[in-house]
Amino acid sequence: MESHPSYSALAPILRKYPRAAGALFQAYNDVVFAQQWTDVEVIELEACGRAAIKGRKPKTEIDLHVVPCTLSETVSFAWLQDAFTLLENPAGIYLAITSEDASIVYYKISQGIVKPPV
Amino acid sequence: MAADLQRIRLRISNKKAYIWDVDDISTVRSKHHICGILTGTLPHLSQQNAFLGIPLVLMPEEVVLLVENGFPLHLEYAILVDDPHAHHQPNLEQLEKWNVEQQEVIKQQIAVLEAKGAKESTNTGRAMSAEALRKRQAREENRAAKEKLLQAGGDPESLGGLLAPEVSLEAGSRPQGQDTPESKTLSSGHTVVIPASSTSSLDWYDPNASCSYTTIAAAKAAGIWDYPSTLQERAKCGVFRSLWEQGYFMGGGIKFGGDYLVYPGDPLRYHSHFAASVLDSPLSSLRTMEIVAHGRLGTATKKAHLLCGWDDEKKDVSYLTIEWAGFG
Repeated sequence: MESHPSYSALAPILRKYPRAAGALFQAYNDVVFAQQWTDVEVIELEACGRAAIKGRKPKTEIDLHVVPCTLSETVSFAWLQDAFTLLENPAGIYLAITSEDASIVYYKISQGIVKPPV
Repeated sequence: MAADLQRIRLRISNKKAYIWDVDDISTVRSKHHICGILTGTLPHLSQQNAFLGIPLVLMPEEVVLLVENGFPLHLEYAILVDDPHAHHQPNLEQLEKWNVEQQEVIKQQIAVLEAKGAKESTNTGRAMSAEALRKRQAREENRAAKEKLLQAGGDPESLGGLLAPEVSLEAGSRPQGQDTPESKTLSSGHTVVIPASSTSSLDWYDPNASCSYTTIAAAKAAGIWDYPSTLQERAKCGVFRSLWEQGYFMGGGIKFGGDYLVYPGDPLRYHSHFAASVLDSPLSSLRTMEIVAHGRLGTATKKAHLLCGWDDEKKDVSYLTIEWAGFG
């Protein structure tokens, strides 16, 4: 684990939020290596008991936010709203939901009533 | 009470609300964006469910909204009628009158049936009665005329006069002069008019006495209505009202795993954009698996899923929209 290329960037936050460590590690690696996002940083979300990932899709200039969680977690409406508040109210966040078999799925959560794309 | 104030009677039976008046159904739909669901079947075709009629059943949230609003600007307001108690004990005179009317209807039906039976029995085996011969001749002439017309490249509908003999035979008593094109298509088609009426025309039906309620509280006190009584029911009423006030139309959400389907306009005109589920409180638990299920189903059906978070202290709704991110 210590020899993983992501370890040095994540180590302090993984130690601080051990319960969310697995999801963060998996989501961070997927965002950086599979989705190839750039300018990736980790932002602490204390009220949500974890850290979020900020970054940009390849060849774009817009900051996007990923909040990792696992499939077995139970969250709440307030938890999602806290994440929005701590990330300074972006229009949307991506919830990265991880499972034990290392699969990951992203869902976009937007504030308010947002019409689906046609 | 002003005479021009229209009362929309929501008839309560077994704590469910029904609208039996077609004009009221049209009013609540067109003016108040409340659709309900038609549930009445045809008396002799109770198994079919493609074409349902009155009564219209309302969702309890719709009832609460209609009654609370009152619509003073539209000169309409909805009242809850305790329907079983609006049927009073009929007196002897009323019963006798009703009985006489029933007997007349029965006589009429028997007469019609007999006439039909007599007609059919004379027609068996392509009977050569004068009537049948005349009809057949008329039909053949008609067909010949139509063919001639088609060969000439004309429109058969434009020569309505040619079709008149057959139609007027079928229509029977209709005066010739009133044979408009519409009446022709109707009489030659399979339109069946079902005289559906509620029991409100009965002499002993009187909803005005002591069994109408203009507020939810009064109806609750009378024991005929109890929605909303729990936190979840209050949350649903609050969310329903909030969406309604933003101009959306709501239908039942069972088909998409939510509480409501949210339409941008009349559901007959639009597809729904959202499936909505109601969360009773900001802290009520939400499994991430639900987010995956709602998000994926919504995206597959070109809808987004709405999480509607009710705050019972602030009486306020917040919304979050879920869709698939498109990657990962």
